[in-house]
Amino acid sequence: MRQQRIIEARWLVRCAASAGLLLCAAGLATAWIGNGVQLPSTSTRDGSLITLNRYVNEPVPDVVLVGSSLTFRLKEEYFATSKVRNLALAGGSPLTGLEIVANRSRIPRIVLVETNVLSRSVDIGLVEMYSKDDNAYPWFARPIRTAVALYENWMHAPPTLEQAAMRRARLFDQHSEPFDNRTYVDRAFQQFDVDEQSSAVRENAERIRRLTRLLEQRGARVLLLEVPFMDRIEEARSVKATRAIVHAAFPEQERWLPIAVDRHGLRWADGVHLDDRSALIMSQAIDDALKALLPPTSMTR
Amino acid sequence: MTFTSWQFGIFVGLVFVTYYLPLVRSFQVQWLVLASLAFYGYGQPELLPLLAVAVLGTYLFLILAMRDRSVWLPVGIVFNLLLLAFFKYKFLFVDPASSSGVGVASIDFVLRLPLPIGISFFVFHNISLLVDLTRRKASPPALGDVFLYIIFFPQLVSGPITRAEMFMPQIEPKSFADIRFVEAAKWILTGFFFKLYVANNLNEMTAHMAFPLFETLQTQDRWLLVVLYSYQIYADFFGYSSIALGLALLFGYRLPLNFNLPYVAASFSDFWTRWHMSLSAWLRTYLYIPLGGNRSGLGRTYLNLMIVMGLGGLWHGAGLSYLAWGILHGLLLVMERAITPRANLADSTLFRWIKSGIVFFCVTMLWVLFKLPNFDQALEYLWGMFVPSTTPNPTKLFYNLALLYSLPVILQHLLPRPSWGPLQRRAEPYLYGAMAALTYLEAGPETSFIYFQF
Repeated sequence: MRQQRIIEARWLVRCAASAGLLLCAAGLATAWIGNGVQLPSTSTRDGSLITLNRYVNEPVPDVVLVGSSLTFRLKEEYFATSKVRNLALAGGSPLTGLEIVANRSRIPRIVLVETNVLSRSVDIGLVEMYSKDDNAYPWFARPIRTAVALYENWMHAPPTLEQAAMRRARLFDQHSEPFDNRTYVDRAFQQFDVDEQSSAVRENAERIRRLTRLLEQRGARVLLLEVPFMDRIEEARSVKATRAIVHAAFPEQERWLPIAVDRHGLRWADGVHLDDRSALIMSQAIDDALKALLPPTSMTR
Repeated sequence: MTFTSWQFGIFVGLVFVTYYLPLVRSFQVQWLVLASLAFYGYGQPELLPLLAVAVLGTYLFLILAMRDRSVWLPVGIVFNLLLLAFFKYKFLFVDPASSSGVGVASIDFVLRLPLPIGISFFVFHNISLLVDLTRRKASPPALGDVFLYIIFFPQLVSGPITRAEMFMPQIEPKSFADIRFVEAAKWILTGFFFKLYVANNLNEMTAHMAFPLFETLQTQDRWLLVVLYSYQIYADFFGYSSIALGLALLFGYRLPLNFNLPYVAASFSDFWTRWHMSLSAWLRTYLYIPLGGNRSGLGRTYLNLMIVMGLGGLWHGAGLSYLAWGILHGLLLVMERAITPRANLADSTLFRWIKSGIVFFCVTMLWVLFKLPNFDQALEYLWGMFVPSTTPNPTKLFYNLALLYSLPVILQHLLPRPSWGPLQRRAEPYLYGAMAALTYLEAGPETSFIYFQF
């Protein structure tokens, strides 16, 4: 019996020691590689974390976009303006990104706030996690994700400035794809053609106003923008109601980014979200509007 | 309080340390009962009275059935089945969000109670208790022992479904010196590894199978996700069962195995002797055999199989998808019985692999009905697996991550069973240590156990 106990104790000690050693190795590897490796996302939430991690780890950009999945489609590489960070959260609220930006000690020159979807509440967890300047890094990186991230980054390195410019040109030269999206549009219309939660939209509009005041007192400029929906979706009740509430809350013309975009060139995957080419057109229209607001050095990559 | 929460870790630590104190030795059963009630009440305190009613009611019928089995045993079984049916299926007729009710406060309160966690499992324990203990002419057990058998916290929420005749004889004073620490540690570490590393990470990917997200998937990714879900549900439930086994060992109880490499099964009947073995055994003992089993001709055997599998499907939940899942499994068993004599003629390793492949394919396809309990959505998902996708902006899945998170399930099933020599035995603690480290480092986002909903 005693012999058996000793064997069992040895087994447990070896098990614990090997686990401890591996944790130490992972800690050392984390210290060596750092937390800067972007881990691949397998979900929307994960993708949000990557973008937010980059925002808090890298130098403060000139322009920040906050919004929902509509703005999420406007990829940073589509912008000719340098130092654009897109903090839009697919499935999330523009207020989440705006709160994070406002809570940090250093702020960008311009904050663009999408106002299409304002019924969602703020993700308090994300706001708390990314609002502190002394972001506590985890002691241990995830070994599998980090290994896959290193592999993916090696296999699919981010485009250089020239490559990004070429891709933009190639995408822009493509014809608009006549995609049959009727099923998706019907479904989206049903989803949007409901009585909007007006009180939530009003509260969020008021919150934007408050955060705008705070940010502008600290020297930033906050501008609102609307990402176009397909014509049919524009007629949905909640879309019209949200627009009416937001424009009533922000009637000043100069509060809105003047975007000149030809709607006829735009296509939507589902009536709500722009396809890649249209997202590029929209991004370039934003670029054009930003030209007047940023110093010339910021406008070239 | 789930097995993977820090609160549960503290809870188990406190219960374990107190359990073996010399002062508590005479009250070990009562202490475990109290701990189990605290465990259950932590999440749903309003349902503790229901648990008490279920156990006390069953105990009453047990006493009565020991005097007159022919009358009170059926009454006791019906009492438990009514409890299960009421709580499991009442939401087919009652909208819990509706403000209007029948007008009687107490009835409205009961009608709006949520589905009690683990009801499917403790009701089956109750029935097993009634049948097993009234079969032999013995004196009725102590109420505390009955409580412990039914609500023992490692198995309370999702099993394994332990038969009374297996558990009750184990109730005796336990000593710290008798604990099999290494065996318990192996089960617990394996369970956490499969749950946190495999199931929770795969869950991030299979979340895209939900409606309407699956419409953004490419056709090949729909196939991939079905296979991943098959691995996930196994890792999730196998993980839970392993933790339950390990925890029970810490308190001196041995629970039955619930899994034995189900995805290498070479036939559907073989699959059901390897998957959720404790449920299969329960259904066979308390339903299939009393219905006549295979003793009343081929037609009756087929009918019995369909009844058992159909009810087994409904046991999981009130939904067309669950019923269809059970009936389709029943059909597969019936078809297999019809062609088995011919199929066995060509018994070779290659043929066995082919049969295993077919069983895995069918079982995996049917898991779609589990993942999408809305029958129309399940059909839509399945249809999309056979037509080219037209989505303009498909979801990107990382195939390398999918493989790395699935690997433990694949290796566990495909590696030949080792006859452990001295070298492997020496490496064993380090392997488990590595699993523990990887569980901590690479745990996926917290998500509840799939079988908690049943």
